[in-house]
Amino acid sequence: MKRNLMTAAAVAALVAGSAQAQDLMFPVGEGDFNWDSYAELEKIDLDGEQVTVFGPWLGPDQELVENVLAYFAAATGADVRYAGSDSFEQQIVVDAEAGSAPNVAVFPQPGLVSDMAERGFITPLGEETETWVKDNYAAGQSWVDLGTFKGPEGNDDLFGLFFKVDLKSLVWYNPENFEDFGYDIPASMEELKTLTDQMAADGNTPWCIGLGSGGATGWPATDWVEDMMLRTQEPAVYDQWVANEIPFDDPRVVEAIEEFGYFARNDDYVSGGAGAVASTDFRDSPKGLFASPPQCMMHRQASFIPAFFPEGTEMGLDADFFYFPAYEGKDLGSPVLGAGTIWSITNDSPGAQALMQFLQSPIAHEVWMAQQGFLTPLKGVNTELYATDTLKKMGEILLSADTFRFDASDLMPGGVGAGSFWTGMVDYAGGKPAAEVASEIQSSWDALK
Amino acid sequence: MNAIAGQKPSLIWALRISVIVLVGLWLFPTLGLLVSSFRTGDQIATSGWWKALFPTEQNLTLRTAEPDAQVQEGDLWVIEGNLFEEGSKAKISAWGTNAREIDANGPGDTAELRDGSVLTVEEDGAYRLQSAEEMSGRRGPRVFATAVVPPEFTVENYETILISGGSTDNLARAFFNTLTVTIPATIIPILIAAFAAYALAWMEFPGRALLIATIVGLLVVPLQLALIPLLKFHNEIGIGKGYLGVWMAHTGFGLPLAIYLLRNYMIGIPRDIIENARVDGATDFQIFVRIILPLSFPALASFAIFQFLWTWNDLLVAMVFLIDATGETTVMTKQIVELLGTRGGNWEILATSAFVSIAVPLGVFFAMQKYLVRGLLAGSVK
Amino acid sequence: MHPAIQGLLTIAFGVGGCVGYFYLSNIILDTLIFPARGKEIARNIRRANMVRPWLFLFPALLALGLYLAYPVVETIRLSLTERLPGGGSQFVGLANYKQMLGEPKFWEALQNNFLWLLVVPAASTAFGLLAAQLTDRLAWGNIAKSLIFMPMAISFVGAAVIWKLVYDARPPGTEQIGVLNAIYIWLGGIEPQQWLTIPFWNNFFLMMVLVWIQTGFAMVILSAALRGIPEETVEAAIVDGAGPFQIFFRIKVPQIIGTIVVVWTTITIVVLKVFDIVFAMTNGQWQTQVLANYMYDKLFVARDWGVGSASAMMIMLLVLPILVWNVYNARREMR
Repeated sequence: MKRNLMTAAAVAALVAGSAQAQDLMFPVGEGDFNWDSYAELEKIDLDGEQVTVFGPWLGPDQELVENVLAYFAAATGADVRYAGSDSFEQQIVVDAEAGSAPNVAVFPQPGLVSDMAERGFITPLGEETETWVKDNYAAGQSWVDLGTFKGPEGNDDLFGLFFKVDLKSLVWYNPENFEDFGYDIPASMEELKTLTDQMAADGNTPWCIGLGSGGATGWPATDWVEDMMLRTQEPAVYDQWVANEIPFDDPRVVEAIEEFGYFARNDDYVSGGAGAVASTDFRDSPKGLFASPPQCMMHRQASFIPAFFPEGTEMGLDADFFYFPAYEGKDLGSPVLGAGTIWSITNDSPGAQALMQFLQSPIAHEVWMAQQGFLTPLKGVNTELYATDTLKKMGEILLSADTFRFDASDLMPGGVGAGSFWTGMVDYAGGKPAAEVASEIQSSWDALK
Repeated sequence: MNAIAGQKPSLIWALRISVIVLVGLWLFPTLGLLVSSFRTGDQIATSGWWKALFPTEQNLTLRTAEPDAQVQEGDLWVIEGNLFEEGSKAKISAWGTNAREIDANGPGDTAELRDGSVLTVEEDGAYRLQSAEEMSGRRGPRVFATAVVPPEFTVENYETILISGGSTDNLARAFFNTLTVTIPATIIPILIAAFAAYALAWMEFPGRALLIATIVGLLVVPLQLALIPLLKFHNEIGIGKGYLGVWMAHTGFGLPLAIYLLRNYMIGIPRDIIENARVDGATDFQIFVRIILPLSFPALASFAIFQFLWTWNDLLVAMVFLIDATGETTVMTKQIVELLGTRGGNWEILATSAFVSIAVPLGVFFAMQKYLVRGLLAGSVK
Repeated sequence: MHPAIQGLLTIAFGVGGCVGYFYLSNIILDTLIFPARGKEIARNIRRANMVRPWLFLFPALLALGLYLAYPVVETIRLSLTERLPGGGSQFVGLANYKQMLGEPKFWEALQNNFLWLLVVPAASTAFGLLAAQLTDRLAWGNIAKSLIFMPMAISFVGAAVIWKLVYDARPPGTEQIGVLNAIYIWLGGIEPQQWLTIPFWNNFFLMMVLVWIQTGFAMVILSAALRGIPEETVEAAIVDGAGPFQIFFRIKVPQIIGTIVVVWTTITIVVLKVFDIVFAMTNGQWQTQVLANYMYDKLFVARDWGVGSASAMMIMLLVLPILVWNVYNARREMR
């Protein structure tokens, strides 16, 4: 009886399993792509081997990544399958623990990679990849450091390759509104604060800030605090903060939280008043820029946010961004906050190794650059290939940053970076004193040790 | 039927009104969702759904046609047209060209723009933009209009979900996959539970009370805890991720409630019926098949509805036990979640998908409802 | 092969196998092992009757043991251990429980859970009974019933979206898109309220969502029970001149009290496990944490399996009174 069932299931699987070859977005050999690197990949022969990739992207993002992976499939003959999930973090843990992990997993946060590497679920990428990242990525050493974790035996190894980077230090605005009111783009944090005051004096609301994100409510505020941390302290202090070498309630951290409060806790500065900050959904809050009359003038958010602008918004015309500026009075250069996805091998196979090799070839970067929503720290790619001027401008900010730091909350342990830091910021936005919030976060961190 | 309250019309009215109020309260949130599913995301985010049914006054940001459309009239460069799409019945009550003052002008007024050109806008949205110099740029100037807009609905969301979103094939396959998951995952636990419930209700054996208590206790086991050990187990016995695994999982998770509900119903069946049958020499199997099953139909039907709903709406169990990295065995809920995109929260898609996925369970409910009729039990006692 | 045929085939295999088991095993028992004929007919029937309960129970016990009891044992083990880096684990006694009891969030969750346990089962059962009784007598009762049932067919996540739309607040001066705030403003409120962030009361706004869903469940089960009441008892009461309220409370309710208790118990257990609603709407912020969400947080966000398992044990502990009561009931019924 049971055998019958299994046969039926096997038949079902066979019938369903015939995949169609995907068309390539950009025909091989045409355009200014690095086709040499593609030809290099064609030497790998993986005829018919299945390579499974599991990641957090769904919907339109899923199409983008599938378009990129199609080049890997075309060059090597492998049968690449991408599956996405909105509960990726939970499912990859379940799958890995139970022994049905995909070949390659795409992690949105380094914290999870660190946990899984320690438990021996991830295959190290080896010296060669490490050297490649160091030599070929802008600020290469920092990308190596971010992908290096303790393995099951306690020694450090490179466990993940960063591919696809998001930029966080951006302020979005509506150029025509700026023109109507005669506002100029601020070049320094001092100017930004003056501009904020001027807007409030004109009877406008300067900022739209929304922290709401369902189960993840609070995370947009952590980005604010991190950006402020980089604008008030040395990068080294930032690193100590991330590693908890200075406590979360250190006065320097509290100062950064209060810098966020300067904007978010002033009723005159935020759309809806300070009380609305915590519960306004982050997806809704940028819509205020385009309302009639405008509900706010500026919105600080990462490079992905245009996806939530009203339909038909044209980048560069209806909306634009400027770099979230640094203090002129503090000599900290122009720091940039970012985040990115890490690709790791969770089930080693020749196909998985070859896929990693593919990610190190310029063509993989360029095909995604030429679509949308992709930034890369890889030097030597043809930046002319960025699909829009907006992306190109962001790519330039990324490559010209003198300090690049990764999203701190992603680097902190899950219980803090995806837990008490989020909830703490909600409490802070609700009126709790910064010092009190910070010491609560610190004690939750202590509990994890 | 109305024999009881028949003598008091006032009572009947009170009854009707209270039912209407109750239904209204329960329906109201869902109605909001239904209306929202026919609106665009921007509409949902800017005005209440109850206002979607009536003409509303809205603040709109519109644009004149792009400079490419200009024609030369003597010394002047002119663009003429209508701010609204053809066939729109919107009426403008005030307008402006600067975000500072969006209601500076009334219909028919003429305003001067920053670049020196002048714009006239009529009540119905017709405009005339004229300039002494040739106009340039990629787009026409903004016009902020305060207008009364008639209700407007779209079926675009349904198109996204049913047709364009991720190709029709996928949705059809997901639909059949979901049925393949839900039908056995509904029938198997009910069958197993019915036998077990009968044994727990009408057969005597040691340890019965303890077993009942254990089953109630198992009702609370949080699903999340069971996932890893069970998937590990499935991998070890070689069924991995697949239909067999997901049926077994749904059966296991649905059983305690099924047994609990059915046993409780069966224990209410009059003792005489069963004892008479026993005296007549019927075996337990015969009693179960010929008497208990038909008599328990309302209970079986109501549990079937719920088990069907849970498996139909389930995503977690399917993701863990069914959907493997190849993504071939996708289900409806997964398909819908994929449409929502990585960062989720598109109200219009969520609203629409809720209605698409509600259709089948609701059909099941209507189909099963006739089995919930009165008198099955009472009839057999007589 | 068309997916529909393929689906049908697999369905036939699955369901057929299940039916086959019960049918064949009974035949084998009655005709091969203990045949009800020949010299030992009486002994054989008695023996067969001793085995049969276990035949009936076997598949259920197997599934329950494997899918629920085994994870419970695993959970107990995990709650007493701590994971070591590089795999493996270490016995730590009650340290996880101690850590859990030291967290203010845990106490907040426990307190809220009690609030939920008081309100939701009572409200859902009451509304469900009301709906079942009222719609029973109406010509359009079935339509009314379907409409009340509808929320049941919407997934928890969908429900969370619907109610977020109800509770939504927009900045003062702009148009409200949340019904509740629109009504509040219309009634003369000045500042739109962020309903989900008002401590203590926001719990009730969340509970409302579950009551809205579970009423359909209570209604369906209770209406099946109401229809199971023999007509004679009701007719006899009418002949005796009882009013509708008397009939309802004195005749009908006592007859279905068993079912009412079952519905109450079931909803209580749903409440203990409620997670999706809180997760999707507030994630336990603004003092709305509940145990199931606390557990999820520990398991999948903090990835602390020890404390996560400990809080799962806490949830199971809360069901103990229901357990005891059911043992007591089952004993009484047996007599």
